[in-house]
This record gives sequence, C-alpha cells and structure tokens, in this order.
Amino acid sequence: MDKRNQRQNARKPGGPGLATGYTLLPGIPDEMLGPDGKVRPGWAQLLAGFDELGPAGLSERFERADQYLRDAGVFYRKYDGAAGKERAWPLAHVPLIIDEADWQEITSGLVQRAELLEKLVADIYGDNHLVARGVLPPELVARNPEFLRPVVGIKPASGHYLHFCAFELGRGPDGGWWVLGDRTQAPSGAGFALENRVATTRALSDIYARMHVHRLAGFFRDFRDALHGDARKHDGRVGILTPGQHNETYFEHAYIARYLGFMLLEGEDLVVDDGEVMVRTVAGLKPVSVLWRRMDASFTDPLELRVDSRIGTPGMTEALRQGSISIVNAIGSGILETRAFAAFMPKLSEALLGAPLQLPTIATWWCGQAGERQHVIDNIDRMMVGPAFSTVLAIEDRETTMLGAALDPAPKEALRQRLLDDGGHFVGQEPVTLSTAPVYVDGRLEPRPITLRVYAARTPKGWTIMPGGFARVGSTLDSAAIAMQRGGQAADVWVVSDKPVERVSLLPQAGEKLLRNSAGSLPSRAADNLIWLGRYAERCEATVRILRAYNARLAEMSNPDLPILSDTRTYLDSIDVDARHALPPGLLSAIDSAVHSASQIRDRFSPDGWLALADLRKTARNFAARVQVGDDATRAMTVLLRKLAGFSGLVHENMYRFAGWRFLEIGRRLERGIQIAGITRWLTREDAPEGALDMLLEIGDSVMTHRRRYNVAAGANSYVDLLVLDPLNPRSVLFQVAELREQIERLPGGVVDGQLSVTAKAVLELQTQLRVAEPEDMTPERLAELCAEIGRLAGLIADAYFV
Amino acid sequence: MLYDIRLELHYDYEGFVHGDRHLVRVAPASIPGVQRVIASSISFDPKPDTETNFVDFFGNLVTTISYAHYHDSLNVRLTARVGVEDDHPPADFSPDLAGLQRELSTLWTLDANSPHHFLATSPRIAFSRPITDYARQSVRRTTSVRAAAMDFCLSIHRDFKYEQDSTDVNTSPLDAFHLKKGVCQDFAHVMIAGLRGVGIPAAYVSGFLRTIPPKGKARLEGADAMHAWVRVWCGIHDGWLEFDPTNAMLAGADHITIGHGRDYADISPIVGVLRTSGGHDAKQSVDVIRVE
Repeated sequence: MDKRNQRQNARKPGGPGLATGYTLLPGIPDEMLGPDGKVRPGWAQLLAGFDELGPAGLSERFERADQYLRDAGVFYRKYDGAAGKERAWPLAHVPLIIDEADWQEITSGLVQRAELLEKLVADIYGDNHLVARGVLPPELVARNPEFLRPVVGIKPASGHYLHFCAFELGRGPDGGWWVLGDRTQAPSGAGFALENRVATTRALSDIYARMHVHRLAGFFRDFRDALHGDARKHDGRVGILTPGQHNETYFEHAYIARYLGFMLLEGEDLVVDDGEVMVRTVAGLKPVSVLWRRMDASFTDPLELRVDSRIGTPGMTEALRQGSISIVNAIGSGILETRAFAAFMPKLSEALLGAPLQLPTIATWWCGQAGERQHVIDNIDRMMVGPAFSTVLAIEDRETTMLGAALDPAPKEALRQRLLDDGGHFVGQEPVTLSTAPVYVDGRLEPRPITLRVYAARTPKGWTIMPGGFARVGSTLDSAAIAMQRGGQAADVWVVSDKPVERVSLLPQAGEKLLRNSAGSLPSRAADNLIWLGRYAERCEATVRILRAYNARLAEMSNPDLPILSDTRTYLDSIDVDARHALPPGLLSAIDSAVHSASQIRDRFSPDGWLALADLRKTARNFAARVQVGDDATRAMTVLLRKLAGFSGLVHENMYRFAGWRFLEIGRRLERGIQIAGITRWLTREDAPEGALDMLLEIGDSVMTHRRRYNVAAGANSYVDLLVLDPLNPRSVLFQVAELREQIERLPGGVVDGQLSVTAKAVLELQTQLRVAEPEDMTPERLAELCAEIGRLAGLIADAYFV
Repeated sequence: MLYDIRLELHYDYEGFVHGDRHLVRVAPASIPGVQRVIASSISFDPKPDTETNFVDFFGNLVTTISYAHYHDSLNVRLTARVGVEDDHPPADFSPDLAGLQRELSTLWTLDANSPHHFLATSPRIAFSRPITDYARQSVRRTTSVRAAAMDFCLSIHRDFKYEQDSTDVNTSPLDAFHLKKGVCQDFAHVMIAGLRGVGIPAAYVSGFLRTIPPKGKARLEGADAMHAWVRVWCGIHDGWLEFDPTNAMLAGADHITIGHGRDYADISPIVGVLRTSGGHDAKQSVDVIRVE
C-alpha cells in the first residue's frame, strides 16, 4: 500500500490507521470525531501525519518530546504525604486541536467573563452595590475566608484588580463549552503551556509546520509589555513573587521569570521602606512597583493578613494603602474562585454588564436560599454537593464533594439533614460530563475526558486570550480523575486556522526600543545562593580529588594502616568526610547542598547547568549503593570529577558575566583557596608521612607542572611555591586571591571614584602579602591563618551584600 | 464618667533587633452613645523610623511603626482621657433565635457593623461541638436572644475559674473550655464560639477595666488591666450589646473600649514581626483613674 492510500484510509474511522477502533461514547461529544462519527478537518491533517510516521516513527517522535522535557528539567511537585516530590511533567503527546471558529466563541466569552469578574471584585472590595441591590447575598462575602478585610476600600494602584486569569472549561453534552471554574488567585500553568508547546512541536515539527497553528509568544509578549508599562509609570521593577522552591509549580515561576526577563522574588527578598516595596539587591534597596503574585494573597503579609505566614513581607498591605505597589492580581481577588459564586454568575452578568453570559457556568445552586436548597434536596441523585466556600474545582475535589447518586441511603439522609441545618455552607452542582479527545496508548488512540485551561491577560488594549493553553486529560474514562495530582496528563492545544498565522517571538522587533535591565537587579538572596552553589561545587571537587588520591593508594598498597593512608583519613575526618565509605556521607551531603542552593535560583542559570548538577547527584547516589573502597572508588571518583568539570564548564562557558556569575565565581574561588591552603598545610607539616608531597601534587593537579618547573628535587618549598604562591598556577592560593580581587572590585560599590570598598581593600592586602611572600614564609601556621583570612573575606562580602 | 488612662507596654529583647515592624491597637476610639475620647496620645521609645496611622476595617485606630536601626527594647505608652456614658440598658425587645435568623436575612449590608461579619469562624475561633452544645443550653433556657446571651455570660462566669497564667495568649477556645479556666481573653473567646455556633453574631471587644480597690485599701499603681469582653448582636431593635463574662455583667461605665474585631487576632494590642532568634520579655502596666 502506498503512502497516499494510507492517508486516505486514516480519514475513515474503522479503516486501518491509528484511528481504528476509536469510537464515540454514547451521549458524549468527542473533539476528534464529529457527531456523525467523521474526523473533524484539523484532526484529519494530524492523523494523516501520524499515519505517515507509522507506529514506530510515532513512538520515536513522542520519545523526543519526553527527552526534551527531561533535558529542560520540567517538573511539578506532587504532594503525597509530608514531603512533595518532583515529578516529570506528564505530557499527553497528542495535541488537542480546536478549530479557529470554535475558539472564537471561547475567546469572546472569556473576555466578557474577565470583564464581569473585574466589576464583581471591584464591587466586593468597594461600594457593595451588589449586596445593597439584593443580587449578592452578604453571607457569601462576610463568611468567606477569601474575603480579606484589610484591603477593603484600597483601590489598586494600576486601576484594576485583575490582570491575569485562567478559566477551566469543559464541553457539555450539547456540544457547547461551559465554564467549570474561574482562577483568579494566582493561576498556574501558563508556563507549562509554553513547555507543552515546545515539547510537542519538537516531536511533530513537520506536521506543525504544515498546519496553521496560532502561536503563543504574542500573548506573553503583550502581557510582559503591559506589566513593564505599569512599572515604568512608577519608575520601578517588575518581579514575580513566588512562595519558593517547595511550591507545586516553582519550576514554572522560574521558567516564566527567565522567559519574560522578570526578577524572581521571594517574600524575604522584599522589604517595605517608608511605604514602598523594595528588593534587597547586591546594590542596595531598589524599588519594585509591579509584583506578579504566584503565592496565595493571605501569605503575602504576616503583619496584616496571615500572622503565621513565613513567606510574606511585613508591611505589604501598608504599601498597598500607600498606592506604591501594583500586585497582580490584587490581594483579595481569590474570593472570585469561591464555588458558591458560580450560582450567581447569570444574575451578576445581567446586573453588571446588562447582558447574559456568553459562556454558561456549570449549573450551581447555593443552599443558603430556601428554594435552591429544596431543589438540591429534591434532586440529590443528580447533584454533586460540596462546600460553598471551597475554591477547589468540584471535579478535582474528591475529599469534600459528594456525588448524590453514589451515596448509600443512610449517608444520603445525613447529607439532606446537613443541608437543612446548615445550607449556607453547601452548594449543589450538576455533575460534569466532559467531551473526550484521543490519547495515544499502546500504539492506538483511545478516548479520554478532557478539560481545557485557558488564560486571559490584561493589556492596555483590553483583555487578550492565549490562543491555546493546555488540556487536562483524564487517566481513565472517569471525569473526576483529571487533576494532575491524580495521574492525569496535559496536552498542548492547537488552535488551527485555515489561513497562515502570524509568527511571533519575544525578541525585540525592528524599530522597537531596546531596554536593558541594570546589573544591580540581582536580589541578595540569589547572590547568597550563587556564592554557596560555587562553594559547594568546589568543595565537592576538592573532596573528590582527595578521595581519589586516597583510594588509588589504598588499592595499590592494600594495607589501610600505612601512615600515608591513616594520615589522609585523619585529614578527611577533620572536614567531615569519612573515608571508610567509598562515597562518604559528607561528600553526598555537599552534593545535596549544591543542588539545594541551585534549586533556589533556577531562574538564574541554564537548564543544561541544572541538568548536569542533577545528573551528578543521581550518579553519586547510584555509586553510594554499590561502589567499594579502593580501585572501584578510584574509578567512581574519576567519573564524578568529570561530571563536576562538566557542570563548571557549562556555567563558565555559558553564563553571562553579570553580577550573578561574579558571585558564583567568588564562591568557587573562596572555597578553592581555603581547600588548597588547608590540604597544603596538612601535607607539608614537618611530621607528614612519606609520600605526602606526591599526594599533594596529585590533589592539586600539578604533577606535570611541578616536574617541568623544578627539575631538581627541591624539597617541600617547591611544593608550597607551586600550590600557594605561583601566580600562574590556576590551582594556587594566590591565583584564587587574584581572581577574587578582580571580581570583588567589579561588584556594585567595589571601586567608587578610585576608592576601594572594605572588601576590596581586604582582598588587595591579602594578594599583596602573598605576592611578596617567600615559600619558606608559608609555614603550616601561616597557611592556617590564610584559610581564616579567606574565610573573613566571605564574611565581609556577606555583610556588604546580603544584609 | 471621666477617666484618665495610662498604658505602658514594655518589651526587652534578647539581644539587638532591627528591621522590625509592628501594628499597635491600643488607642480608644470615640463611639457615639458609648464613649467620647477627649484626648489621646501614643508614644514609642526608641523613636521609630517610620510611624503611620490608619483606621482598620472595623473602625479601630491603628499605628504602624517600623525600625531600621538596632534596638534592644520597645516601649509603648498611651495616655488618654475618655468620657464614658453611664446609661442603663433599655428593656429587652430582642427576638428569639428563629426571629433573629429572619432579621439577619433582611440585612443586605456589609458595613463594618453588619452582624454578617461575626457569624463565621475567624482566625482564632473555630466552631466546636462541645462549646456549641454548651451555648445551646442557654438558648433552651430562655426566650430571647438577649436573655440567652446573658444566661450564657453568667454560665461561663459560674463554670469557669478565673486564673492568671492558666492559659496563654495562644490558647484556643476549645482548650480553655476543657480546662474550665482562663483569663478574660479565654472567657470572651468561649462565649463568642458558643454564640456563633448557635447562630448569634458575636464580636471580641478589647479595652480597659477600672478596678475598684477593696474597702480601706489604697489603689495600687499600674494594678488595672487591659480587658476583653463580648459584643452580641441582639436583633435590629436592640442592636449590639456588650457582655462581660469575666465579671458576669453587661459592660458599663467601668468598661473603656479600645475597639473590636472578630476575635483577639483582629484587635490584639501589638502585632510584630521580628527577625530574631531570641525571645523577649514583656511587661504591661495599666492605670485607669476616675477624674470626676
């Protein structure tokens, strides 16, 4: 059969090809098949592409997408038990295809809805006309845990409460789209939508190129420009406020910060000074005027909102009162996510817009009203009943939402009684039936329920809707299993036009004014983490070098009690490394510390660097389980050394020489200086065992250089000369100090009008001492002092830049 | 009645602190028909680097202070002269509980004074079955909301022992309920939890209480105390009335109000965020002196 025939067959359901056996479920619309069972036009093109590739080709392509996600380190955090674990992003490889005309309905419906939500939240925190007019029951606000009284009456500095919203949509049995939920607190997932797109197009680049798929970049560019525009009015910066690396979607916060060029900030990076929000940077306090908030509002201020918040900024509410900061979305906007509000959306639309909702909301009854309560009780077998003030979507909420039809008689009666006693705390909602779309399982396409997450952003020209988003795909035919936390998957959404679409990128366009961020925007916390990342990476390297030298000798001499071996163990003990283990716990914890420091600043260096570090940790842990001391460990250390060099190389060759790189470099140099001075002191002491000097050269990676530079056996002095005082040996202490001086002088405030900072003076003094010193001055006592002096430099840097 | 009030809050820190920020709610506000503030001033030592004032959602006066420089103590001093009305509460025209629910459902307002704000759980008050059942006994024994509130106020006074240091500032209403003892804050929290549990709006009031020395003894300096009691919404006609479960009485001319909120968290005298690992030592002294 030739290719052309295959393509023809693919269009016919039931014929050979991937769609074979893919059928409509009774009463449920499908995204790929029309009601008549025929493949919809956009899908036909996709299927033709799939069939051309064949099952093997397709699997290979999908593996490319997964490989991309692994390489990019895309993860989300899954909560199971106490500690969240990082999970690979569950990409459903088959994109969801939506026709442009269908999409147009979604777009105009959501623009209307975003406008409605803005008016609603402005009324709740403003004049309360809706309550006075009898449209919105006061209990829904007054009893609502998301109603934040400290911000009542504060007008947002930007003039608007909402700037970025997400909507969860499902297609009902009638074929139309329904809104299942509004996300206004801190909607997540837009960054994952981008990553989905990149991964999917890696896999299906040729098919993607043939179809006219709307691009996502324009949406992000417009929103970025809108936030920059707001910030410029107040002469401040834009930051993304994240709860930190333990958050479920921290990866996404870092990703968007990197993609849009915003600072990634945590609560402790900020301080409110005289009513203004400032970021602690290495160049002092700098004003921030727009914060894109990715943490729940009540956590942003431990003083006025949640006293138990440990991730907030005291005084944030004060800054809001002063009108000096625009928070996106405004503090308090989360109230719109309240489930019971869904019951009032049709009335609210009439009251606030004078028009009916273009996209209907899932049918909802608030049981605080007698008639509605009775309706829910009478129809309990056709209801999902759940908490009125919950902000969790009913379809994601198995813990507190009950399906009336699934209850036994006794609990059903108990539920009826609770509705009678305390109706105000409950809503009834129509159970959701969702449309199905194909997923690729074991070489075939199978239908699964889907919901659609769509994003809206405010720009100076009004609301704009991301042409795409992501679809959440159930793991079974059960609609309730759709949440990512429960094993669902996410698919890219292709909005397909029949005409060519505009190609956009975030790069500056011709004629666009070039804006540069200043180097002084590095938050102090990030700088601190960079220093520690540099230090831990270097500490790992130093430890691995010593361990390799030790294990090589152990393998050769096979008597662990020989003086050189026991002496090295004593030294390693002093730096908390127990050499009786092939992979000592001290080394593993240094690697963990490096990964930990890096994980807090993922927006600051490349995915490749992160991946190299993660790979190092994985390898070390594997080794720890099976490697034996001696020859085995020697080879393991060589592998680790190579991986460490890989990480350093990626960072050194690829990281832009901004303030961030300088701090990383300073960390490396500080640690290397301390480590080399330390081991040199130990191995050149008078009672050091035989073989100590050879070992020192090996650890200092200077065997060849020593042979070349000192052709006569010159005694301990030549070793000290090479490893401490040689300005050209990249492993000598003096070399580290010289590098430190260069970086320190270039830090903000390092040299001002020819005047040196305290730190710059200290490093110059140290450098000068070393440059004029003779090898015989470098006694073990002096070397111990040298370690302490380098340590003091670290303290001076911390005082100057991190406090 | 006219009172001169002096309050001093003093904190000694273990070591020096800086970068701290505090909200202070100690200044009495004028309340029409209840009290009139003639003069009031608040001062801090050391002098804060920033000091701003605002009125919070419930109408309370708040001062925000912050320190950039290092200090090892904080002293807050309030002096105020307040006139308190000494009128007797009118006769009870409050509805029964079902009537109260009907009246509530006709109140379409979110004003700060709206009873709707005082029906739900709040930061320090969760609903708990035992306390609700306890309050329900008072409802059963009476025929009006106001009588139920007074019955509940007297029950708490009878069943709970006032004991300094038996609880701390973070004790939950349920813990105090099981202990059957506590201080004014616990008495007030238990009463609020019970009333809300049965559907009666209740608020937490913070203020000062004049203490009258035993016969023949002189008044001791600083011996008066900050105090807490409960505001109960008794229907549209009777409105908000104040009950003092610690002293088994309606709040009257000896009660000087600072302000109110849903519970202690909304009106605590001082909330602060300190970046310090050490603890601190707190002292408080209050004088309420009758001027005329």
